[in-house]
Amino acid sequence: MDALVNALYAIPIVGLVFQFAGYLVAIIPPISPIILRGATPLALGGMCGVVSERSGVVNIGIEGTMLASAFTGWVVGVALAPVLGSTPIALFGITLPLLLALVASLLVALAVSYLHAWLSITVRADQIISGTIINIAAAGVTGYLNTLISKNSPTSAGSFALFTPPTALTNLPIVGWLFNMVLNQGPITMSMLVLVVITQVMLFRSRWGLRTRAVGEHPRAAETVGIDVIRLRYRNVLIGGLFAGLAGAYLSMEATNSFQANMTAGRGFIALAAMIVGRWTPVGALGAALLFATFQSLGQAIAFAPPGGELGVLMTAMPSQIYDALPYLVTIIVLAGVVGRSIAPAADGQPYERESAT
Amino acid sequence: MIRRLQPALVALASLAVVAGCTGGGASPSPSAPAATTSPSTPASVAPTATPAPSSNLKIGVVTDIGTLDDKNFNEYSYKGAVAGAADIGAATPPSIVPKDQSEYATDIQSFVSQGYNIIVTVGFNLAGPTTTAAHDNPNIWFIGVDQSPICVDTTGKLDTTFACKGDAKTLLPKYISLQFAEDQAGYLAGIVAAAESKTGVIGAIGGTTLCQPCNRYINGYIEGAQAQNPSVKVKVAYVTHDFSNAAFNDPVGGKNFAQSFISTNKPDVLFQVAGKTGNGVLDAACAAKIYGIGVDVDQYLSYPNADPCIITSAEKHLQSAVESAIKGIAAGTAVGGDNRFDATNDGIGISPITNVTLASDVQTKINDALAAMKAGTLNTCPNSTCNNVAKSTP
Repeated sequence: MDALVNALYAIPIVGLVFQFAGYLVAIIPPISPIILRGATPLALGGMCGVVSERSGVVNIGIEGTMLASAFTGWVVGVALAPVLGSTPIALFGITLPLLLALVASLLVALAVSYLHAWLSITVRADQIISGTIINIAAAGVTGYLNTLISKNSPTSAGSFALFTPPTALTNLPIVGWLFNMVLNQGPITMSMLVLVVITQVMLFRSRWGLRTRAVGEHPRAAETVGIDVIRLRYRNVLIGGLFAGLAGAYLSMEATNSFQANMTAGRGFIALAAMIVGRWTPVGALGAALLFATFQSLGQAIAFAPPGGELGVLMTAMPSQIYDALPYLVTIIVLAGVVGRSIAPAADGQPYERESAT
Repeated sequence: MIRRLQPALVALASLAVVAGCTGGGASPSPSAPAATTSPSTPASVAPTATPAPSSNLKIGVVTDIGTLDDKNFNEYSYKGAVAGAADIGAATPPSIVPKDQSEYATDIQSFVSQGYNIIVTVGFNLAGPTTTAAHDNPNIWFIGVDQSPICVDTTGKLDTTFACKGDAKTLLPKYISLQFAEDQAGYLAGIVAAAESKTGVIGAIGGTTLCQPCNRYINGYIEGAQAQNPSVKVKVAYVTHDFSNAAFNDPVGGKNFAQSFISTNKPDVLFQVAGKTGNGVLDAACAAKIYGIGVDVDQYLSYPNADPCIITSAEKHLQSAVESAIKGIAAGTAVGGDNRFDATNDGIGISPITNVTLASDVQTKINDALAAMKAGTLNTCPNSTCNNVAKSTP
C-alpha cells in the first residue's frame, strides 16, 4: 500500500494531485468539527436569506439582525445569571439564564425582522435600503450599549457546551470522523443541521413551500388563486429572522461567551453569498457555507502544518494571502456561472401592491 | 459664547463620531470641516471653560480601529491618557475610535481643529497620519503609542519610501513615540511557557504578519522558550496577513483559528498576540484544557473568561507610559522622538503567575533575565531580527 502511494506521489505533476488528495484525507478529519462550527452562522444566515427571498423579499439586513440578537443574548445572560444562578439543568450545559437569553435573542431578531417586513412589504420601501438601515442601526446601537455595559467587565451567563460523542462512535474506521464532526458540537450547530433538512423538505414538499415559491416568482398569479401575498411574505421574513437570530445567538452564546462590538465581522454578508452560491436552497446554502469554512480552515491548516514533499514546497512558496482569498474566488467563479447558473426568484426585491378593487 | 460651548461641542462631536464609527457609517466629525490646511489654534488663547482644572492643556485621544473597551490596547492607552490628565489637572480627554484606516487623518484633524494641545494616537497603524499631522502642526504635542521608528524625510514630512533620512527628533520635536521592547516581555513569557510545557511543544498566535510589535513579542517568546529548554518546539501562526477585522477584532474567528491550530500542532501552552481575536484564542486554549498566555495587559484581570487556564501575560505598561509622557509634557521635560520603554524603566514585564506554581529555579531564571535586561547584558533582539515575521522552530 505504501509503495503504491509513494509510486503515485512520484509521478511528475499528476503526482501533486495525488499528494494533495492524500493531504486532504489526512488533514480534513481532525479539523472537520471546526469547519462545521465556522459554517454554522453562515448556513443559518443563508437560510434567513433563503426563506425571505424565496417569497420575494430581499434581506441584506442579516448582519444587523445577527448582531442585535448576539448582543441581546449576551446582555440578558449577564442580567439573569446573578439572579437565577448557573446550575446546568440539562445536556449541553444549558442553564436557565442561558435558555431565557436565547429566547430573548430570538425575540429581538423577530422584532428587527418585523421592522424590515413592515418597511419592505407594507410601506413598500426599497428593500436594500431597509436592510442597510438595519445593519447600520444594529452596529451603532449594540456598539454604544456595549461600551456602557462592559465598562466593568460583567460576568456572562456562560455558553452552551459541546457534546462529547462516545469514543466508540468516533473511533469507527472511515466514518468515525463524520460522527465526530456532527456530534462534537453545541446545541445550536446541531439544530442548524436539523433545521436545514426540515426547511429544505418544507420548501419543496409542503403547501407552505409551494406558496412561498409561487409568491416569490409571480405574486400576482399567486394572489389570483387566493394566496395572501402580504401575509405570507410577513411570515417568511419573520421565520428568516428566527434563523438569523439563532446565528447571532451562536456567536455570543455558543462560539464564545461574550459580546464584542461588530463581532459578526461580515458573516451576515458572507451568508448572503452562501445563499446565492447555494442557489436559494437551504441545503445549497449549507453546502456553500461548508465550502467557505473548509477553504478558510484549509488555508490555516496549510500554514500550521504544510504537507511534506514537493507539494509542501509548492504550497508554502505560494503567498499565504492566496488562501485567504480562496473562498471569495470560489464565490466569483460560481456567480460567473461556471458551475451552473444561480438564478434569483423572479419577484425578488419587488414590493407587491394589491390591485385595487374597482 | 462659542468658546464657552466648545468643550461641550467637542464632547458631542466625539460622541457622534464614536457612535457613527461603531455604527458603520463613515461620518467624519461634524465639527471637523475638511480643513486640510493645518489651522492650528495657538494653545495659549483658549481660556478654559470647564470648571476647576488647574491645567489649560486639552488632551484628545484617537484610538486604533476596534473599541475603546477592548480590555486591551485601546483601553489601557486611553486610561493612561485619563490618568495623565488627572495628574496634571487637565480635563478628562475625549476619545475618537476610527471605523477604518481611512478615518485616522480626519479624526486627528478634528482634534487639531478644536485647538487641542496634546493628541494621543494609539497603535502603529496611526504612525503615518500622526507623522503628517505632527509636521503640519508644530505647536501641538503628539504622543504616538507603538509608532517607532518615526520615518521622515529631511524636511520632516512623512517618508512613504521608508528611506527615513530625516532625524525625527529634531524635525518633529513635539512628536513623542512610545516604543516598547515587546521582545523582552515575550522572552519572559517564553521562559514560563517552556517551563510549564510537559510535551515540549508550545504555540504562539499573532494577529497579522504586518504587525511588528506582534513579531517582537513572538520572536522574544521563542528566544525565551529556547533559553529555558533548548529542545522546545515553538509553533507559530498568524491569523491573517492584512489589517482586516480578522487580525485583531474577531474573537469567533480567533477561536476557530486556534482550535485548528491546537488540533494540528498539539501545543500545551499557547501565547496570543492578537487583541480581541486573541481573546478567542484564549477561549480555545481553555476549552482544549491547555495553558494560555495573555498579551499587553494582565489578561487574568482584563479578560476573566480566560481565568481557568491563563498562566501569565506578557505586558507592556501602556497606561503608565502614556501617563508619564503626558506628565513629561506638562512638566516641560518631554523629549520628542522615540521614547523607549523596556526593562530599565519598567516599561515591560509579565503578570503574576496564575493557575500554576513556578518551580523556584524558573522564578530565579525570570528574575535573572529581567536583571540582565536591565543591566543591558541580555539582548533579546539580536540585530533587530525580532522585527521580522516569526517562524515555527524546526
